[in-house]
Amino acid sequence: MSRHATGRQPVTQLMHDTDAIFNELRATLAELFELDPARITPDARLSEDLEIDSIDAIDLLDRLRRQTGRKISIEGFRSVRTVQDLVQAIYRVVNEG
Amino acid sequence: MAYVIDAEQGDGMTDRTAPRPLRDWHPVRVVTTGFGFLLFGLCGTVLGILVVPLLLALPGPGSARQARVRRMIRVAFRAFVGYMNQAGCISYAFAGASSLGRPGQLVIANHPSLVDIVLLIAFVPGAACVVKRAAWRNPSMVLAVHGAGYVANSPTETMIEQASALLAAGECLIMFPEGTRTVPDRPAHFHRGAASVALRAARVVTPVFIRVRPPHLSKAVPWYKVPAIRPHYSLTVEAGIDPAPYRARPAPIGSRLLTDYFKTCYASGTRGT
Repeated sequence: MSRHATGRQPVTQLMHDTDAIFNELRATLAELFELDPARITPDARLSEDLEIDSIDAIDLLDRLRRQTGRKISIEGFRSVRTVQDLVQAIYRVVNEG
Repeated sequence: MAYVIDAEQGDGMTDRTAPRPLRDWHPVRVVTTGFGFLLFGLCGTVLGILVVPLLLALPGPGSARQARVRRMIRVAFRAFVGYMNQAGCISYAFAGASSLGRPGQLVIANHPSLVDIVLLIAFVPGAACVVKRAAWRNPSMVLAVHGAGYVANSPTETMIEQASALLAAGECLIMFPEGTRTVPDRPAHFHRGAASVALRAARVVTPVFIRVRPPHLSKAVPWYKVPAIRPHYSLTVEAGIDPAPYRARPAPIGSRLLTDYFKTCYASGTRGT
């Protein structure tokens, strides 16, 4: 399960502003779900537009945990609908302490 | 045996709407089937409320207590299947059951009938199982499913993690990727949870094709509508699938591909059941 963890610096330092988080997230989503990065806009809805379902969300959270080095609970992501919501949720996790 | 099943299936295919003559001692089967379910309910309650706490209270490490409860469930289900068979309510053939129950093996099966899970648990020694959440709200089942270390079904991280942990610990796990019983003769709709669990921790995924002719105890039919002829369950264990190649892709893509592969297997293997 360590296959995604290598070849990437810890990005916690980068993730202090939302633009950086968005760029990083776009690269992650594009790779993990093999999506065209152009489709990943702040307004894109995760389930309707990007076809990311609840099982995908589990894989995505696994990946975000490795990338941020934070313990991310799925609870903070229940209200996430769009890419922008997700950016905000990650921002809160990363800047919480 | 096989030609009988195929003959029955052919019969069913030609005209589904025409009423069939009642055969195989139909009135007797109505009584014996009803009695079977009464027995199942009564024994299940007694076992679930009185015997399981006893098994859990007996000394031994947690794993031994869990194994005891699983063995009790298996023996009880074996007895129920034996009764249903001896009383002529159903007949069954389970080909290749001995290759089930290996460490880290994920057994997947389609779900056309209530009896599927009973047959699988009855014939797969020591297996854990992902069962519907409602079992945890049923007073006569909650201790048994909890004591046996079964996993409650839901498309959540908790289920995926619990199921993966069992496989990683070398247990055998039974899952129904359709999630719920299917309406007969509709194409299988497989949820991705099973594939996701397989990618995380299974050493091998072994599909079991379950076919029931005529349809029996399916979602569309109440239990007291006893079929005109005796239902035959045929369970076939297929060659194991190695999940390793699917791990080369990102997890969401790998689980989609593996789910598609499951669908392909079942579309060709179960011929629409």
